[in-house]
Amino acid sequence: MSTTQLILLQILNTGVTMGILMLVAIGLGIIYGLMDVINLAHSEFLMLGAYGWVIARLVGLDGWTGLIIAPVLVGLVGYVIERGLVQYLYRRPLDSLLATWGVSLILVQAARIVFGPAPQAVPTPLEGAVDLFGMPYGRYRLFVLAVSIVIISLTLAVFRYPTFGLKTRAVFQDAEMAKCLGIRAPRIYSTGFVIGAALAGLAGALVAPMLTVAPDMGANFLVQSFLVVIVGGAGSLVGVVGGAGVIGGIQGLISYFSSSVLAQVITLTLAIIVVRVRPRGIFTRK
Amino acid sequence: MAHLAVRDVHTFYGPSHVLHGASLEVETGSIAALLGRNGMGKTTLLRSIMGLTPAASGEIELAGTRIDHLQPFDIFDLGVGYVPQGRHVFPYLTVQENLRLGLRNKRKRDPEIFEKLFGYFPILAERRKQKAGTMSGGEQQQLAIARALAGEVKIMLLDEPTEGIQPSIVDEILELLVRINQADGLTILLVEQNMELGLSVARDFFVMEKGVVVEAGAVAGMDKERVINEYLVV
Repeated sequence: MSTTQLILLQILNTGVTMGILMLVAIGLGIIYGLMDVINLAHSEFLMLGAYGWVIARLVGLDGWTGLIIAPVLVGLVGYVIERGLVQYLYRRPLDSLLATWGVSLILVQAARIVFGPAPQAVPTPLEGAVDLFGMPYGRYRLFVLAVSIVIISLTLAVFRYPTFGLKTRAVFQDAEMAKCLGIRAPRIYSTGFVIGAALAGLAGALVAPMLTVAPDMGANFLVQSFLVVIVGGAGSLVGVVGGAGVIGGIQGLISYFSSSVLAQVITLTLAIIVVRVRPRGIFTRK
Repeated sequence: MAHLAVRDVHTFYGPSHVLHGASLEVETGSIAALLGRNGMGKTTLLRSIMGLTPAASGEIELAGTRIDHLQPFDIFDLGVGYVPQGRHVFPYLTVQENLRLGLRNKRKRDPEIFEKLFGYFPILAERRKQKAGTMSGGEQQQLAIARALAGEVKIMLLDEPTEGIQPSIVDEILELLVRINQADGLTILLVEQNMELGLSVARDFFVMEKGVVVEAGAVAGMDKERVINEYLVV
């Protein structure tokens, strides 16, 4: 394999990592930015999304249907959690952290009881490879990259252009004033939470064929997503996307050229420096 | 007829008891000034009326309808506009976006309302594409008032609208409020620390002291010297 092909391979792999990380971290950023809720159960939405695919297979549906069903199911779970618990914890970061940690433990244990502790392999719905400049590259990985780009662009567009986007940005900036202008902030919070959960669920369904599905598979994504939100800034979705680019890029490139341990050390060091120098994140306005 | 009636309202911030049975009535179509020293509960009273810091007990009525149990967005829907202290424009949204958020129906772009608002505040027309956070204090105050007017409200609660603004713009804002009050019959409850300014435009006045309205009446019959000496001198 030539150097150009190696670089291209690495760029594509890093792109896939960044895409998945963005899908997870955007939800975390929306939930924290809108409600000041630190959602430790967010990684379990990813895990539930992956199991959504497992459930779809168990009931005889194909992989593509599973990919569509997973975010819808996880969005519904997110709605129940938001209405049943999180709505009482807005603007209480510490309380929300403890409560959602409890939810996370319950969801992981529930998955362990229902599906068993053993990791499960999910077959890819898109087998084979395509030829990219003389180099074979997995068709499913390309599909994941494309879906991530489309969904992230759509999410940014939804929060940017229509009336819902304008109202959401108003609530992001000054929730109290937004309420005084007739904006049903609790409805925006619920919708934001459900969108965040569904995106994490989609990420889980997308990564399921590339990893093994297990009850504790979300933990690693949670740590990385928090680093993304810290580095990018929770104040804007663009910040989260930028943060995912930085963290995903560093992780992917350094893991490839050196080791994953060094990649972790560098990303954690970067997070510490950002907290010290730009506590609101690299990409968020002061 | 009272457009807004507040009766024996008690409000708390956590364990801190701030309003101790505040009562007042603002007549339909009038401008009323709510006066008092710092920390006497003026802002808290406006926040309680708006549903931001709900009253623990007592009654708040808007044109005969109880609103003390409602959320701020429901109170806005009933025609109450709020211009808070410190303006609270959305700093990263443009002037136009801020104004759009003030509309009752935020989906509908209403050129007539925008035209009317830009007629009142020509500077906002010039700055319509500018981010609100980059404007001067006076311009932001005009935007905050315009945004409240965009909702075609029937009563407006203004908290210290002249604070930190250059005198020429203060005069413009007060003149405009009087004009809108006379033209559209907009009821205005104005919290103002600067008594002279507040009374220059108001028909009625209320004075707050330690969470209670202790003096009320028509500005025309007011014993200014006594009120100043008893309640307003620091």
